[in-house]
Amino acid sequence: MKNTYTKVLAVSTLMLFAACNDDNENGSSVDVTLNTAVLDDFSAAIAQATYNDLAAKTTTLYSQVLELAKDGATNTELDACRATWKSARQAWEQSESFLFGPVSTDNIDPRIDTWPVNFTDLDAQLNSDNEFTEAYIDDLEDALKGFHPIEYLIFGENGAKTAEQLSARDIEYLKGLALNLKSLTSDLDESWDPSSSGNYHTIFTTAGSGNSIYPTQAAAFEELVIAMAGICDEVANGKIGEVYAAQDPTLEESPFAKNSITDFTNNIKGVQNVYLGKYAADGRGLEDMVRAYNLGLDNDVKLKMSTAIEALGKITVPFGEAIKTQKTQVQNAIDAIKALQATLEEELLPFVKLHSN
Amino acid sequence: MRVGRIIKHACIVVGALITVYACVDPDTDNPGSYNEWLSGGSQTIFDNGAGAFSTAFPSMTEAHEAVHEAGDVAFEQTFVTVPSPVNPGLGPIFNNVSCTSCHINDGRGKPPVGAEQITSLLIRVSIAGEDSHGGPNPAPGFGVQLQQRSVYGKTAEAQVKITYVEKSYTFGDGESYSLRFPTYELQNPYTSLPPGLMVSPRIAPPVFGLGLLQAVAESDIVALADADDKNDDGISGKPNYVWNVLEGKRTLGRFGWKANNPTILQQSAGAYNEDMGITNFVFERETSWDQPQYDGLSDEYEVSDSLLHSVEFYIRTLAVPARRAADNVAVLAGKQIFADAKCGACHVPRLRTATDVAFREVSNQVIYPYTDLLLHDMGPDLADNRPDFDANGQEWRTSPLWGIGLTRIVNGHQNFLHDGRARTLIEAIMWHGGEAAHSKDYVRSLSRSDRDALVKFIESL
Repeated sequence: MKNTYTKVLAVSTLMLFAACNDDNENGSSVDVTLNTAVLDDFSAAIAQATYNDLAAKTTTLYSQVLELAKDGATNTELDACRATWKSARQAWEQSESFLFGPVSTDNIDPRIDTWPVNFTDLDAQLNSDNEFTEAYIDDLEDALKGFHPIEYLIFGENGAKTAEQLSARDIEYLKGLALNLKSLTSDLDESWDPSSSGNYHTIFTTAGSGNSIYPTQAAAFEELVIAMAGICDEVANGKIGEVYAAQDPTLEESPFAKNSITDFTNNIKGVQNVYLGKYAADGRGLEDMVRAYNLGLDNDVKLKMSTAIEALGKITVPFGEAIKTQKTQVQNAIDAIKALQATLEEELLPFVKLHSN
Repeated sequence: MRVGRIIKHACIVVGALITVYACVDPDTDNPGSYNEWLSGGSQTIFDNGAGAFSTAFPSMTEAHEAVHEAGDVAFEQTFVTVPSPVNPGLGPIFNNVSCTSCHINDGRGKPPVGAEQITSLLIRVSIAGEDSHGGPNPAPGFGVQLQQRSVYGKTAEAQVKITYVEKSYTFGDGESYSLRFPTYELQNPYTSLPPGLMVSPRIAPPVFGLGLLQAVAESDIVALADADDKNDDGISGKPNYVWNVLEGKRTLGRFGWKANNPTILQQSAGAYNEDMGITNFVFERETSWDQPQYDGLSDEYEVSDSLLHSVEFYIRTLAVPARRAADNVAVLAGKQIFADAKCGACHVPRLRTATDVAFREVSNQVIYPYTDLLLHDMGPDLADNRPDFDANGQEWRTSPLWGIGLTRIVNGHQNFLHDGRARTLIEAIMWHGGEAAHSKDYVRSLSRSDRDALVKFIESL
């Protein structure tokens, strides 16, 4: 890691020479038009697009759960729920590369994605006579609602639950949970919608024009890069690293759907989305800023992202197993994600600070 | 959170230090080799985003970084009901399920809006008199803190209903402002509330920079005290001496809204115990002990000594964000107003940490926390009327102001003071009373642009 220290020091020293320039705070060229477009497109093509997709998928999930509840659950209906759960999960995990704004400050993240599940209380709920109304579910502890309790109910402890094994109470609870997830993700979708009041789109895209949260565009770019690095940190050190170090499969998130590796991969794909400015539609991203000045850095970021995704792809068994049987692959994935994180923090972050106002 | 950012900071800080020193005139008050941009001395970081309060000290050894990371993971750990393979031990009665669910992004909590659940505000309770250590006298059936949630099958101690009454005031220039006066009503108590129950709401405070505050020499804090106002400036400043569980005696309190906790370790251990129902080597008993809901199980400690120590270390090593725009014209004007209004009599800008050969990261640092860590009478409107060791019902500890301007980006709100009643910084100022009444009156008399400048200065901290 010593060489990266030197690089950062070099950039910082450049900042020393740049910093006293009167014309421009950074003393380096800034393309305000492009930068504004990148922030606009982040909001439209990434944040709004991802949250919109997430909300649409949880809406589908809710309607599929209602089907499941109608005149006897079938395995086909249950499979449909599982497939949609996974695709909603994909949108959510990709959105974790930008965990700032309402998802964090409005406390939405813990309400839809708390791990572990409180199984003791969940069983007690299922064995009770409580009516799982919308308000009742909304009032429950975070560890009793959101993605993971739904996962537990539709996949079962070993991922092999059949429609027959779904009890009436399971289905009642599932209905409440799916509705709650749909409504929280709709709130999230709305929180970036330019037409809703107090939306974060306006706050983020007006960075640098009298905005008290983002006094400069540089602050908005820092937010983006730090969030990208933050999810790399979380995946490498937390989601993978903690479980791997403890060699304890019970610590694994998403164990019932055996979806953990997919989750991690989607986290890194989320980083890629922000960098490229591309989710469904391709907008302008950080990529466009970087390419204007530093093709080497652009190549490096892209290489590190694809290397990390490939390294995760080499883990071929469920994560809980892989920590025991595919240690090399797991360690390689951790290293690749940490390398990406280092590039984001030590090179991309100083870069966006230099090339924004 | 975002622990991996640790590594880059060593270099960023060096570079930024050079940058800052190169271009900014040294503070004329500060002829030494330090700089008020660097709020946390050498443990200042340059993240202005949502992670501004969540970044580790920039210059730690790898071994220390590893402990910080372990503490970070533990800080985010969600506890669940026993039995469970993962993180068992929640409750049976509690306020929240993890450290981070109150201290979101290591930052400041807020009171609920509308029908929201209460998540980051808790209620301390007691009855008249003192416990055997001179602290609050536990309320029979409730202890010293109200747990408003419970695991399945147990009953929350009570629900809290907050109602606000708006009162209108005017600034000297005729512009009006409004303050909301809260009342706290305890509903559906699981057993009858004792007569004369005293209630003190407390919001979850930010947890960064505490290692530096802990490193300030006790003698330096006590030297700022003037309990009898011998210098006749209207400002007293009183140390709180509180029960130190591990030392078995009363020592100087530094943390908590009433300086009612002596150390980060005891504060963290107390939060595990009271807020989450997690027993530990500092607080060995469930909070329901001696109450009808106690399950009689003599559990093992629900958080291990090593994890508790790592959480303590995590909090102790959260760095302080650097100031932003400290040389902006309006900010500098606001700085002058801050001085003219004598805000700095309690919100003391600069402190120096003691020499600590065992932990050089916090050793001998000039820091800018804007607090004296002492108690001051804040007047009847802010009073909780619940004594806490030497703090009487009108006294509160001066809150640090460093990083306060980043509350919006980190926590998405502008709720300040001990129960989050203030909705803007200017409201928070206008709530000041008691010893701070003169300062408040001074601010009230200012023009709009001067008030804005003062707020800009505070936001730059």
